[in-house]
Amino acid sequence: MARFNNKRKPFVKPIAKKKLATVDHITGDKIPKSFVFSRGRLPGPLRQLKADLKQLMNPHTALNLKEKRRNTLKDFLNVAGPYGVTHFLILSKTPTAPYLRVATTPQGPTLTFKIEEYSLAVDIKHSQKHPRCPKDLFKNPPMSILSGFGSGGGRHNDKEPPQLKLISAAFRNLFPSIDVNTVKLSSCQRILLLHYNEDTKLIDFRHYSIRLEPVGVSRRISKFVQKHQVPDLRNLQDVSDFVTKAGYGSESEGDEEAATVTLASDLGRVNRASSKSAIKLQEIGPRMTLRLIKVENGLCQGAVLFSEYGDGNKKEDNHEDAENEEDGDEEEDDENDEVDSEVGEEDDEDMEEN
Amino acid sequence: MAGETQLAEAAKGPNKRRIGKTKGSKARKKAKKMPHASDGSRAMKPKKIDPKMKKLYRKRAREYDSEEEKEEESGGSEEEGEEKEAEAKERRKAEEGFSDDEEDDEVQPGITKLSEGCNAFRLAFRSIVKKSVADDVMGPVLSGNKKLIAEKLAEEDAERKVKGEAKEKQLVIEKGHVVKPVNYDPHEKFLISLATRGVVTLFNAVSKAQNAQKGLDPSRFKDAKVIRKRRKEAFFSELGKTGASAKAQTSKGSVENEGPAWAPLRDNFMLTNSKLKDWDKMTEQVGKDDIGRMSEDNSSSDDD
Repeated sequence: MARFNNKRKPFVKPIAKKKLATVDHITGDKIPKSFVFSRGRLPGPLRQLKADLKQLMNPHTALNLKEKRRNTLKDFLNVAGPYGVTHFLILSKTPTAPYLRVATTPQGPTLTFKIEEYSLAVDIKHSQKHPRCPKDLFKNPPMSILSGFGSGGGRHNDKEPPQLKLISAAFRNLFPSIDVNTVKLSSCQRILLLHYNEDTKLIDFRHYSIRLEPVGVSRRISKFVQKHQVPDLRNLQDVSDFVTKAGYGSESEGDEEAATVTLASDLGRVNRASSKSAIKLQEIGPRMTLRLIKVENGLCQGAVLFSEYGDGNKKEDNHEDAENEEDGDEEEDDENDEVDSEVGEEDDEDMEEN
Repeated sequence: MAGETQLAEAAKGPNKRRIGKTKGSKARKKAKKMPHASDGSRAMKPKKIDPKMKKLYRKRAREYDSEEEKEEESGGSEEEGEEKEAEAKERRKAEEGFSDDEEDDEVQPGITKLSEGCNAFRLAFRSIVKKSVADDVMGPVLSGNKKLIAEKLAEEDAERKVKGEAKEKQLVIEKGHVVKPVNYDPHEKFLISLATRGVVTLFNAVSKAQNAQKGLDPSRFKDAKVIRKRRKEAFFSELGKTGASAKAQTSKGSVENEGPAWAPLRDNFMLTNSKLKDWDKMTEQVGKDDIGRMSEDNSSSDDD
């Protein structure tokens, strides 16, 4: 035994310098990465929401990020630098409501949202008759659609409140930008919709999966092609009936006209480039209704640029809670600070609803 | 354990009966029958036996064994008497049935015990009946519990309070959580249509852009060159088409760079804030970059 033990060497894992892909290999843009974590102790459903958000931010997020109670914001910030993490999504909870903060590292700004309502991915799943989750759904980053945040072109800039622009910029930069010339359609699997309602000042946060179905092909045949199962021909007189007999038309047939596209390339077995395909969205992931309550200059600190509950110049108000105790001043010189962490104008082409 | 003892018994069965064998055909018959019957009954039994019975059986087996030993000790001399004894035993067995004979011994003490117990019961019951109890509202039986009931009520009250607190706590925890989301209200449908429109525009843009470069492999240098050329052409043609508006936009954009009164929207927002040493050099670069980027942006955004 002893000899055996002597012979065995402790296994040292070779420290492989894994090259972190911080840059998109085709377009050369910097890929935004994110940390999703919580400050303070979260109750069960919110912890689940955190997991859902992590799933949503896949693949450019730290799925297994572990946090401890004694971790301060500074700890995360220190880790974020080497890993090229550009955004923090911070969940917190007070007796009044849960809060979500979206911050750009290392210097801010920080947007604080109050989560008025939320539903977990599980709740959504339970509410659906046929929840859908293909295997490679979360392998690509979602695309973001921003609506109601004013025109991206900058036509009536003076009218629209500046914080809206900030929100849209923040959420747009949360995900890698899409280059229409090189993007693969198979990587467009899910979509994040943010809709600002001007009257209620609420932001609807929805997460959908994109499904493509060929137009003009009956349900039976598309199913047959997809599943490769022997169809039930019991009730048919002839084999040709299977092809010719029309299936039930769905109710949404009418508005399909608007939702059809011709694909640039084949997608899967059924959706051919030559034929038309209908786009169908199904909700996945968390659903939230957000209200912007504060914009801060720095990372969870600094001057208040905007506040829902009063003048931005005033000091913090009641919604400010105890977890601001992280007093690490990030103002200390970060040599590697990025110039482009500022609120960019339109750096990337993305599809703004217009 | 019980099984072992039974086995031992079974093994000893024929031994015992060999004594009776000498007697006659009747005895032999019984001896022959007995093991079979008893075997059958034993095979049935193990399921039925409950622990109390087991104990009894074991005890009986012990007694039986000791008897046999005695018999064997006194073996040769008084063989006949023993034979008679055995005969008598067997006869009894025949009369009562094989299994009954086993219960026989053990039932009788039970009956006697019950009869004794009856007496004790009677005494106890009499003592209870004789007892005189103070007449109360709650009745004689509950009188002792009167205090307890009040206590119980108070406890329940406290419990309810605690439960209410827990409920409140739960409410706080679940605040804002919509467990059963509605999928088919008009607002959701509107949102879905919004998202669908967005996806459609994206896919159309993609197909438009990628159809233009169909058959060309961007990884090949030659093709890449062609693609670049085409893009450039497309961009310039777009510029020509919407020249005025584009110009207006860009000019407005440049004005706007100075324009926004709100600090974070300015391009140099962070630059002034952060402690960059050679910011004056940087701004030039950034400005150049911006111009290049803007032109790219226009090309792509005007594509769709």
